[in-house]
Amino acid sequence: MRRPTCYPVKRMKNTDCFNANKDAVLRKWTEAVYALYPLETRGFVRTSSDPFGNPAGDMTRQAAEVVYDAITGEDMVIDAVKTALDRFVKLRAVQQGSHGQSLGVFFLMKPILRELLLPQMAENGKLGAYLTVESRLDSLTLLAFDMYVAARETLAESRITEIRNQHAQLTRWAKKNDISISQER
Amino acid sequence: MAKLPTPEMLIAGRPAFPDQGWLDVKPEFTPGSFCYPAKKDTMELLHMPHPHEWDPAAEDWNLPENWEQILCDAFAERLEKHRSLKLFMDICVRCGACADKCHFFLGTNDPKNMPVLRAELLRSLYRRDHTMLGKLLGRTVGARGWDKDVVKELFYYAYQCTECRRCSLFCPYGIDTAEITMIVRELLHEVGLGTHWIMDPVKNCSFTGNHLGIQPHSFVEIVEMLADDCETVTGIRPKTPFNKKNAEILFITPSGDVFADPGIYTFMGYLMLFHELDLDYTLSTYASEGGNFGSFTSFNMAKKLNAKMYAEAERLNVKWILGGECGHMWRVLNQYMDTYNGPTPANMIQPVSPVTGTKFRNAASTKMVHIAEFTADLIYHNKLNLDPGRNDHIITTFHDSCNPARGMGLLDEPRYVLKAVCNNFVEMPENTIREQTFCCGAGSGLNTEEIMELRMRAGMPRGNALRYVQQKFNVNHMACICAIDRATLTPLAGYWAPGVTVSGLHELVANALVMKGEDKRVMDLRQEDLPNVDADEPTDSEENASDARGEDQ
Repeated sequence: MRRPTCYPVKRMKNTDCFNANKDAVLRKWTEAVYALYPLETRGFVRTSSDPFGNPAGDMTRQAAEVVYDAITGEDMVIDAVKTALDRFVKLRAVQQGSHGQSLGVFFLMKPILRELLLPQMAENGKLGAYLTVESRLDSLTLLAFDMYVAARETLAESRITEIRNQHAQLTRWAKKNDISISQER
Repeated sequence: MAKLPTPEMLIAGRPAFPDQGWLDVKPEFTPGSFCYPAKKDTMELLHMPHPHEWDPAAEDWNLPENWEQILCDAFAERLEKHRSLKLFMDICVRCGACADKCHFFLGTNDPKNMPVLRAELLRSLYRRDHTMLGKLLGRTVGARGWDKDVVKELFYYAYQCTECRRCSLFCPYGIDTAEITMIVRELLHEVGLGTHWIMDPVKNCSFTGNHLGIQPHSFVEIVEMLADDCETVTGIRPKTPFNKKNAEILFITPSGDVFADPGIYTFMGYLMLFHELDLDYTLSTYASEGGNFGSFTSFNMAKKLNAKMYAEAERLNVKWILGGECGHMWRVLNQYMDTYNGPTPANMIQPVSPVTGTKFRNAASTKMVHIAEFTADLIYHNKLNLDPGRNDHIITTFHDSCNPARGMGLLDEPRYVLKAVCNNFVEMPENTIREQTFCCGAGSGLNTEEIMELRMRAGMPRGNALRYVQQKFNVNHMACICAIDRATLTPLAGYWAPGVTVSGLHELVANALVMKGEDKRVMDLRQEDLPNVDADEPTDSEENASDARGEDQ
């Protein structure tokens, strides 16, 4: 039966869809990140909510929220996103694993988005908007890549600075006396 | 040929349920996860057992032929010698109270970094050879035998424990996991396995006095350079008395504070304070290292290096010893020194402050006073002229160094001093300070650059708490009372909370200290301009002098 034109089909707004799925996406993504840890320790990062007693869990939860808000098009100041992601990216930059594995955690959100958001948005004719969400996730990963590289560079610089600092006075004394340190030692 | 895996296949490669139990998962010796090995000639010079060349990343560690017998015998000997060790092996009920208290665990999420399971690595060996059930039932009751992979595993995890003792604070039985780590390191040394960053300073301290092996005359010259720097800042060149017989006090501090940035500024602080008090004290070129690198090696090595303190106190005929800001030096002093090298030489007496007359009854046995106690007492008796306004550009927090905090309960004295010399003080969150303080991540000989990555993840809980107060309260400085902290918190803050500087307590004391006859302070001890100070504006004392001259005219 043909619908009367005065009653248009009520379509779900993008924001309604994003808000409705937010909690589920965040929960699934944080679970996916926690699942990267060994089975014996996963329960702890998942259940303890103390930001100082379980900092890794807290950093992951904070990152999840920021990532989701950023990719679903909430108005964002880039620096604020970077500040909010900073701890999580720095943690990934020093935890064991390949660099791809460390940073690729952001891509773990894609299958979750495809499971939860994609069907609803496709049904409402919002496929273009959905693809923008995925593209924003790619942008955010690139942003995180810059931060990751900066963190690794800080590590490398710290090693050099520390070597220099350990002998700072000795070097100064050696220069003053015009002798080499190796001779002295 | 295969299809390119999806990102989730690449990233989430871990099976949902592991195909091995936690005890069977072996560590991977990847660069950045282990310390460089001690050099063979270093170990030979120190007469350490079985010196040899080896590489932690190699398959074969070149262990001596009868390595298993050596380790079994050494373990049995220590169980016999240390009743506490036997108790720690027997009484753990694996309640897990310690499990999530270790900073290494929080940073790595490696189950074997839970203190309970780290200790279980040794306990499983204990069960096989020293318990009836273990002998009969083997793996069923968590017993296992030695093999070369077990040795590697012990090395990997014994050097992922900073002996900070945070876990023991939460143990209902009071098991000191740090002492278990110490024993594991001792056992590893029995088969020639040690690390360069620990053994090189042990050698240097053994032969030359200080951890870099600098000859006495050069050591004195470097200290004099620091006195020159004090003069640049204040116009007053503090005294640098060395090896002065019959001085009242012998001052011993980590030699790192003489050589390393930013520790040198703390050392300058000591010189200025003692000069201002006109203290009858002496430094020593023989006991020129307070830090005890031997305590990261074995009890015997710790005892040997510690012995220099009383030997020098006797030779110089001093009355008591004042100790600088150091971590493990104070753990050794407070917990082991009496047993190692006590009683004190006959010339030593219970310390009494020559300025305030305070008797330090807490030091009646060791005859050693911590400088934070000494200075707190001076401030309490109003003996120092302080201008905390000079530190007003600093909003500081305080990192409780593990050993003074948990090893000797030194919690309030440094805070008392800090609040007297800085107007802006903020505590970090409650479960990260005082007895519950998080380690810097690089104590107990792990402060070496090749494991910087490991240090950053181990120090993450401390860095995280620091970052919190930085963002919430604009904290831009962290004070501490440990030389290793000063070295290791600097890169840690640079990584987790960039913009926060690190210093010792007495650097801030000296910045605030108004010395008699000093020039107007326009820069701090680091020779950085003091903000809000007009170099041309006369000081109060100069104004008074000018007024007096005016009256004369």
